[in-house]
Amino acid sequence: MTGTMVPERVREVVAGPATNQPRRLLRSRRRAGLLMVAPALLHALIWIGIPLVAAVVLSFTSYDVLTPPRFAGLDNFRELVHDDVFRRAVLNTSVYTFFTVPVAMTIALLIALMLNSKLTGRAIFRTAIFIPQVTATIAVALVWLWIYDPRSGLANAILSFLGLDGPNWLSSTSWAMPAVIMVGIWQGIGLKMLIYLAALQSLPGELYEAASVDGASKVRQFFSLTVPLLKPATFFVFVTSVIGAFQSFDQVYILTDGGPANSTTMMTYEIYKSAFREFRMGYACAQSLVLFALLLMLTLVNRRITGGDRGSR
Amino acid sequence: MEYTRRSVLSALGLGAFAAATGCSAAPSGDGQAAADGPAEGEITLLTPIYEGSTGKQLLEGKLLPAFKQKNPNVTVKVDYTTYAALNEKLTTGLAGGLMPDVVMLGVGWIPPFAHKKVLAALPDDLGQRFDYEDRVLEPCRYDGKLYALPLILDTRIVTYRKDMFAEAGIKQPPKDWTELRAMARELTRADGSGKLTRVGFDPFSIDLRQCWETFLFANDGTLFDESGQQVKFNDDRGVEALQLFLDVIKDKSGDYSFKSAAGQPSTLAQGRSAMMMANNSLWVQLQEQTPELLKEDKVGAFMLANRVPAMFQGGTLVSRSATTKHAAAAQALVEFLGTPDTILPTAAQRGAVPGVQDLQTSDYVENNGFVKLALGNMDKARSEGGTPAWMEIREKIKTTLETAVVGQRTAKEAIDELANQSKEAISRL
Repeated sequence: MTGTMVPERVREVVAGPATNQPRRLLRSRRRAGLLMVAPALLHALIWIGIPLVAAVVLSFTSYDVLTPPRFAGLDNFRELVHDDVFRRAVLNTSVYTFFTVPVAMTIALLIALMLNSKLTGRAIFRTAIFIPQVTATIAVALVWLWIYDPRSGLANAILSFLGLDGPNWLSSTSWAMPAVIMVGIWQGIGLKMLIYLAALQSLPGELYEAASVDGASKVRQFFSLTVPLLKPATFFVFVTSVIGAFQSFDQVYILTDGGPANSTTMMTYEIYKSAFREFRMGYACAQSLVLFALLLMLTLVNRRITGGDRGSR
Repeated sequence: MEYTRRSVLSALGLGAFAAATGCSAAPSGDGQAAADGPAEGEITLLTPIYEGSTGKQLLEGKLLPAFKQKNPNVTVKVDYTTYAALNEKLTTGLAGGLMPDVVMLGVGWIPPFAHKKVLAALPDDLGQRFDYEDRVLEPCRYDGKLYALPLILDTRIVTYRKDMFAEAGIKQPPKDWTELRAMARELTRADGSGKLTRVGFDPFSIDLRQCWETFLFANDGTLFDESGQQVKFNDDRGVEALQLFLDVIKDKSGDYSFKSAAGQPSTLAQGRSAMMMANNSLWVQLQEQTPELLKEDKVGAFMLANRVPAMFQGGTLVSRSATTKHAAAAQALVEFLGTPDTILPTAAQRGAVPGVQDLQTSDYVENNGFVKLALGNMDKARSEGGTPAWMEIREKIKTTLETAVVGQRTAKEAIDELANQSKEAISRL
């Protein structure tokens, strides 16, 4: 924390105040701050911290819930290395994330730009686009099951209208993953759009006025002003979307059950299967740690590449 | 005492471990609550059946009031779930110390839970109260003890369209797989562009695991040895059973994507298959969706046969928790649920096969062609499971066999892989 980035007032306080009054003030503010974040910290400790430590510990055990855990050393991790299905799940999750996140983010940004303009009935559009986000995935997935029905579904009806033979979406190893990805994109647009819209509405109008005066076109304004100014929002949307995509579960659970032949199984789905269907809690914890490590790594890499939320300061 | 970073971290780890596992109510030792004494108290029943408003009305509006009349000091709280979520419900319940007093389980589930001492053994004479087929009681036993009573059964049989058979000049259902395949080819239809409009045989509208097991049993194969410690399905009989699916796909008399979608009429009812592997509950579905097929006698059923005639037997069994605080009340409920008076309306509500032979002459059985066929042939029924590692192995079967069905592996490779996974699961017991 050096250089011009640090506000004068803070530097003054950190370097040492001239009198005792600011120090007392700072201390009392610190206390108040700690008191205010205490409930959230306690909540995080109980519901995130302890389960996280427990998961780490249990990952070194063989634990079936029915009998006490037995220390298993690195057995679960050794098995994970040779587990073809879990490897497939990691690959599937990565593919799902690779396609859903950028596509949904791009569409969400375009819709947000559209809704940020003076569009008639934009409140209706906004609501309509946000609805998938608040609709139960079970209900959404059931509708998509009908859409993907090879005989009476909407998807193949449209393709047939265009003179194309529709695939057996959910029974085909080639088409099941694209089908799941499409649901993921559709469902993820609403929240991303809302965040982008909020960010767009807080952008300073005078910058755009100045750019217009300087003769910058709308496209130039978008790439030179909007995109850089949206960097903090983009970072937030990207990180939460990647985490969300890596934790996708419901669509697969309802639409494909991970099949056919594991072609749509995801990491969370494999964790669920190990824990609740096969009663292998220790192994499920080891799988969870791999997911945790991957997400941590992706977040750190993304932070390094994009510079995190520095643009907001 | 000096605190080092290592000691603090160790203590933290152990604390978390204790926090995570200490709340588990896993039973230990052989201590099981005795069921003697008066039947009283509030007990919970976890059930994956009696779903929907009609099921709930039957259970809570009719059956449980009758139980209450006989056991006025027992109150039953019902926890409804589905078979898809039952495992999860049990796991979380056990971990949280909330194991229900009475639980309904699937066929094959008794050995894993009895092995872990989650279930209490029942008095053996309960297995002689009514006319039980030996095959039906087999999955209720573990280690020589009776742990559950059969409630309803779900068999897998081959259903077929009599009108399509007549049209093709076929007079009798197939006696073995060679005939089955020949008939399937003959009954298959395609449109002018070669696109299938009807498959001769649809084995894929039921769960692939249960379907393969039916073929394995009809090929005189078995899943495990009697001890449940040795894998037995990886011989020729198991491979041939899976190979048959690959063969019907190859000659286009069957298609993996040509199957009934959830909630929709079956491929048989739609005329998109001439023969279809089905659950006996298809009869009730046909009554509701396409009653004309039954009225016009266009649908029939037979048992799959190759080396032997065999029928897959699933179903719902009722058992008592080993940790219940109201053992007598829980056992009273188990006994009550296992009586023909309870079984008959339960089976009728779901189109299932009653778990006792005593009901063979009931109107319900007489008027349901598929249930009648199944109940009359229970001596040929075979169950899945048979090993304490079943809960893990059952999850692997479909996904592993599917790799062969979609062409990623040969039948032999898929069966070998499944055998390896099963051996590993058994070795972890």
